[in-house]
Amino acid sequence: MRVAVGPVGDFAAGRMRIVDVGGRSVGVYNTGSELFAVLNVCPHQLAPVCEGTVTGTMLPSDPQSLDYGLENRVLRCPWHGWEFDLSTGETLFRQERRRLLTFRVSVEGGLVHLEDHLRKD
Amino acid sequence: MRDSPVAGLEGKRMSDPRPEDLRLVDSDVHPHFRNGLADLAPYLELSWRKRMRLDEETQAWASAVPASQYVLPKNEMYIPTPGAMRRDASAGPGEVPASDPRFVAEHLLDRHDIDRAVLIGGNVLGLSSLPNPELAAAIASAYNDWLIDVWLRADERYRGAILVPAQNPAAAAREIRRVADRPGVVGIMLPVADVLLGEACFHPVYEAAAETGLPILLHLTGTENIMSRSARFPGGTPTYYIEWHVGVPAVYQANVASLVVHGIFERFPGLRVAVVEGGVAWLLELMWRFDKDWQSLRDEVPWLKRPPSEYLRDFVKLTVQPMPEPARPEHFAQFVEMTQSQDMLMFSSDYPHWDFDNPMASLKGLPADLKRKLAVDNAVAFYGERLTRALPATAVAGGRGSRPA
Repeated sequence: MRVAVGPVGDFAAGRMRIVDVGGRSVGVYNTGSELFAVLNVCPHQLAPVCEGTVTGTMLPSDPQSLDYGLENRVLRCPWHGWEFDLSTGETLFRQERRRLLTFRVSVEGGLVHLEDHLRKD
Repeated sequence: MRDSPVAGLEGKRMSDPRPEDLRLVDSDVHPHFRNGLADLAPYLELSWRKRMRLDEETQAWASAVPASQYVLPKNEMYIPTPGAMRRDASAGPGEVPASDPRFVAEHLLDRHDIDRAVLIGGNVLGLSSLPNPELAAAIASAYNDWLIDVWLRADERYRGAILVPAQNPAAAAREIRRVADRPGVVGIMLPVADVLLGEACFHPVYEAAAETGLPILLHLTGTENIMSRSARFPGGTPTYYIEWHVGVPAVYQANVASLVVHGIFERFPGLRVAVVEGGVAWLLELMWRFDKDWQSLRDEVPWLKRPPSEYLRDFVKLTVQPMPEPARPEHFAQFVEMTQSQDMLMFSSDYPHWDFDNPMASLKGLPADLKRKLAVDNAVAFYGERLTRALPATAVAGGRGSRPA
């Protein structure tokens, strides 16, 4: 299923916008160079995950050292702080197998289209 | 008493619901001040307002930081990296999460079919760390009047735990008797301090609790081992938040053991205690070790008439949030079976804190009878009619949700 969700100009850089896709709430995020879309449901306790922050995080590092990275690629759930890779929907560093449902994003004729990975037509 | 459809619990007042009509009881919800301690000003005598400088105009920058000035270490102690609060629990930009009773009723109660929510703590969880016992007593009394006035009158599904100063047991006992009969009051939050709770200095508190029929609720203070009056943290001072968070249940295990071995439940058989957010699975270790030790060491504490695990089952409840999430989910029910704790555990969400449990997820998959006990039955048994029966019509103002004029 492929759905147009609005003109590309409506998706401002650095902003998460929540759209309706066939009755499902989906968050579309513009990193400034790429658009990503994920289902607005956290697989852990069903939180509205897209109301969280898009940020970076501390990368795995040596003891007592900090190494910040992945800026703008990490979606952090507003409840328990689970961190997901926006581009894949997977948790970072494989803490957990449950993942976000992601959508393919494309821009055609100035419109943003989302496509469900699971259902094809 | 007429039968009450569950749907009628929302909105208008109704007659007393039957316990079997209740869908879910949440035993741990935190109401917050909108403007810090200034919210308590209407409930404090002039002299305390002056002492606490609440009558003075604060500068704009001062309202944004907890101590009205940036102070280390207070502003940077144990802070979870996702933030201490659910980011979606704020009623609007700049609003403190869970500071608007009507918003919480919609955001938490309506959405999760919660028919009763026990409000406890909030900004005052660390009261026991205050060095000044008179100040602690004044804050506790003002908080209780605020809780009753602003929150318990706002929605008939709210119930509340009054706050008492552990460092001032005489004042705590007076406070219990002062507000015990206010509509909506169902328990007493006793913040743990640097003295284990079995000690004799707390007898006046337990006497008042047993006399009024209100259970004692223990909740994490967030200050464990930080201030010299805070509860000690086992082994030393944790460095990281996660270290504090996984270690702190031992503080509550130790306090429960203290209550048992000092014979508090023999001395005050009407007393009931709940550990709120203090961990769950330590119960197995405590019961096994306790009963084994009792076989050998009973004569040290000869006032214990029964295996200690029986006192735990008869007098103590635990709220389950943060719900254990074992890799094999069926292990939780096995833990309950091993400890025979099916009547001890109560659902809680800890709203609006970051480690909130959504009942749709945390209770999912439990055997039906166990789920019902956690969701409703154990809380009804623990809090009794104060929880279930409808509030008097005059008590519920209908979601006013603001400071009194």
